Amino acid sequence: MNKKYDRRNFVKLSTGTTISAANLSANTLPKETSAQTQTDIKPLRLGFVGIGGRGSYHLNCALGIEGVEVPALCELKPVRLYQAKRWVEAAGLPTPQLYDRGPTDFKRLCEEEDLDAIICCTPWEFHTPVCVAAMKNNKHAVSEVPVCITLEEAWELVETYESTGKWATIGLEGQGNLTLLNMVYKGLFGVVVHAEGGYVHDLRKVKFTPDEEPWRLQHSLDRNGNLYPDHPMARIMPLLDINRGDRFDYIQSMSSSSVMLNKYAELNYGKDTVYAKAKVSLGDMNASLIRTVNGKMVTLNHDTSTPHPREDFRLQGTKGIYLSDRGRGGGRIYLEGLSPEAHTWEPADKYLKEYAPPPVITPPRRGGNIEGHGGGGSKTPISWHRLVIALRENKLPDWDVYDSVTSGVIVPLSCASVANRSQAVDFPDFTKGKWKTRPRKVLG
Amino acid sequence: MSKIYYNRRKFVKLSTTAAVGSAAVLSGISFPKEASGQNLASNKPLRLGFVGIGGRGSYHLNCALGMEGIEVPAICEVIPERLQQAKNWIEEAGLPTPKLYDKGVTDFRRLCETESLDAVICCTSWEWHAQVCLAAMNNDKHCVSEVPIVITPDEAWEIVETFEKTGKWATIGLEGFGQLALLNMIQKGLLGDIVHAETGYIHDLRRVKYDPEGEPWRLQHSIDRNGNLYPDHPMKKMLPAFDINHGDRIDFLVSMSSFGGLLAEYAGTWYKDENHPLTKTKFALGNYNASLIRTVNGKMITLIHDTSTPHPRENYRIQGTKGVFLGDNTASNIYIEGLSPMEHQWEPAAAYLKEYEHPIVKNYNPPPRRGGKIVGHGGGGRQTPMIWTRLVIVLRENKLPDWDVYDSVTSSAISPLTEASVANRGKTIDFPDFTKGKWKTNSRINLE
Repeated sequence: MNKKYDRRNFVKLSTGTTISAANLSANTLPKETSAQTQTDIKPLRLGFVGIGGRGSYHLNCALGIEGVEVPALCELKPVRLYQAKRWVEAAGLPTPQLYDRGPTDFKRLCEEEDLDAIICCTPWEFHTPVCVAAMKNNKHAVSEVPVCITLEEAWELVETYESTGKWATIGLEGQGNLTLLNMVYKGLFGVVVHAEGGYVHDLRKVKFTPDEEPWRLQHSLDRNGNLYPDHPMARIMPLLDINRGDRFDYIQSMSSSSVMLNKYAELNYGKDTVYAKAKVSLGDMNASLIRTVNGKMVTLNHDTSTPHPREDFRLQGTKGIYLSDRGRGGGRIYLEGLSPEAHTWEPADKYLKEYAPPPVITPPRRGGNIEGHGGGGSKTPISWHRLVIALRENKLPDWDVYDSVTSGVIVPLSCASVANRSQAVDFPDFTKGKWKTRPRKVLG
Repeated sequence: MSKIYYNRRKFVKLSTTAAVGSAAVLSGISFPKEASGQNLASNKPLRLGFVGIGGRGSYHLNCALGMEGIEVPAICEVIPERLQQAKNWIEEAGLPTPKLYDKGVTDFRRLCETESLDAVICCTSWEWHAQVCLAAMNNDKHCVSEVPIVITPDEAWEIVETFEKTGKWATIGLEGFGQLALLNMIQKGLLGDIVHAETGYIHDLRRVKYDPEGEPWRLQHSIDRNGNLYPDHPMKKMLPAFDINHGDRIDFLVSMSSFGGLLAEYAGTWYKDENHPLTKTKFALGNYNASLIRTVNGKMITLIHDTSTPHPRENYRIQGTKGVFLGDNTASNIYIEGLSPMEHQWEPAAAYLKEYEHPIVKNYNPPPRRGGKIVGHGGGGRQTPMIWTRLVIVLRENKLPDWDVYDSVTSSAISPLTEASVANRGKTIDFPDFTKGKWKTNSRINLE
């Protein structure tokens, strides 16, 4: 598969690009999501583009929700396309229109179909093109992460939103850790000083599984930086009020040398095979430091190549600290003046229970367990429940376009920094000053 | 005592790649060899002078006085009560009454010029460390300093040049190497090649910084400087684990600080006065600082400094190509690919730490210590610390200390270089090669 993006684009790109004034007056922009009711029963029409591991999962989620229709499917691989078609029919819905004429057939789908939104689960490099095609054809777009892989794409998404009123979102990523967010909002940690998180997940096997994500390895060959920031940022950005009273100012990123992927290929396929000898750009470990204009800091890690258990999460405020202890227990906490012993951890579970948000009850799901990557559950995920509400009530999704691209551009910005000996790279202000007055995310 | 005796602008603006001025004259000087063995055979008394006898100085003096064959003929300290106490301790140990140097903050120079000593032990406030070392080395004495040994790159170069000119070394050797079982594990290859470490000095020092009895000079550094002010404690573990200056070297670093203010806020709490002048003081030091350090061989360190926020002490993490170690004050964990019972799951590190206990720790069996418990900051033990035994051996046998001059200044120079980065919006700062190329051929630090 050819790459559909130009690597030099995002490495060399100026980060301070401004856009031409968008014409906002002609459009009605949606409001922020809040309520949890699903009173409107007009069917919601969703089109699916890319139905691999994550696409299957999302399609499965959607088919379990009352009042959702799937009139159109687009997928390159016939086996996957027809499986999806059978799922739609098995759910008692009309047979969908199939789009199977190559990797750009999503454009025809967007032009021809009458849909409320597109669910995009293609390889990374198609996310922005699919979103933009949807938005320009009067459809919202919900994308898997990352929503963009270059700064130009990020600006294109913002401009298209501002000129069409149709949004693109990584909203199915979820709202992060609402319990911690609640604790921060209640002032338990004081003012947030620093958060550390990351995507530390040994993906060597995944990257060498061509049946699943044949396009994924190529990114590691071509790019050196933090290639997957969205999962940790889904938690960190709300905790730091990013784009809502604060914003990212600049980023510095550093990568170690790269040996692990070659070693893995050598071990599993032999030392003379292509990938054992391939030049891999991605450093085995990448760490980025990000500073906000209000002086908060993030340490963001990316390591998909070394052997390790999953990452920890750490949040330090002026009044206390939380450490997730992932894989080692239930997390620990220290709150000055509240924890029983000075400078000594206590288990976090008591606090996590006390500050957990009220449970969200989703309507009963049709069908059995959810299939696909991330599946297994038998309830509609809250992120899907909230997406359907936003679509029905013409509200903004949990991740609006500004937040979605802010999270996504960490990839090209970190790559630019790594390429220049960790030089600091400025963050664009996608909100063009609106971060100063945009209200804090509302819980629930 | 709150005045600071260094020029801050000097090291913030300094070029970090400055080459050494004059070629060092190496011929004709006999250089010590690397440390090894534990032979304490020689009975010629070892003569040590102490400069600065506060919390750490008291501790080191106490350690020294507990060892056979050590004399302390000279002590220097600006606070009369401390000087007198030190004198009493020496006399109580049955040693001759020492010469006292009490004529102000630069009286250590007179001590170095006048006394005949094997080495000076320097535990002054930070800004004097390099000056004391240089005075000692230029007067035919080795010098053992508390950390940081330097607070500017200029001082670092001057110490290197003086060593190369005089053959007398300066060291932070009493710092030790941290968790030696971990170092042994790494040197035996259990974690594979090292990829990355995250470590730091995360220690809530708000109370300490507002303790004029203890270290009245310490707060001023937080008022004047923004960066990683205390890199040596975490680096003592990482420098040997990463083979820094011994096959690899630090290439460059970037550093970032958060907003500050917690120290000013604490002044109100401490003095019970919300209008205390220090609550209005602008502290340069950010509440949290993190630096990314890269070696020429592509290894990485995330180095943290946080002495202002409320927290328990730090954890640290070392990732190699074969596994990862997570150091924790309560219980460390480890994961070794192919060896740990569950794929991608932590297991307790205790069994590994026991198995890989370093031979020098296992075999450590010093002669009984004279006197009771060790007093001073770090005290409490009844046994002479291994670092003191090793120091005495190298002094007696004319060997290099565990931390040689190059390693010592490399560790401490991180501090001013992070300041230079923070002051320039995280600018990339090249790390000086204090070894001038010798890092390529220097053999791995091997503790015997």
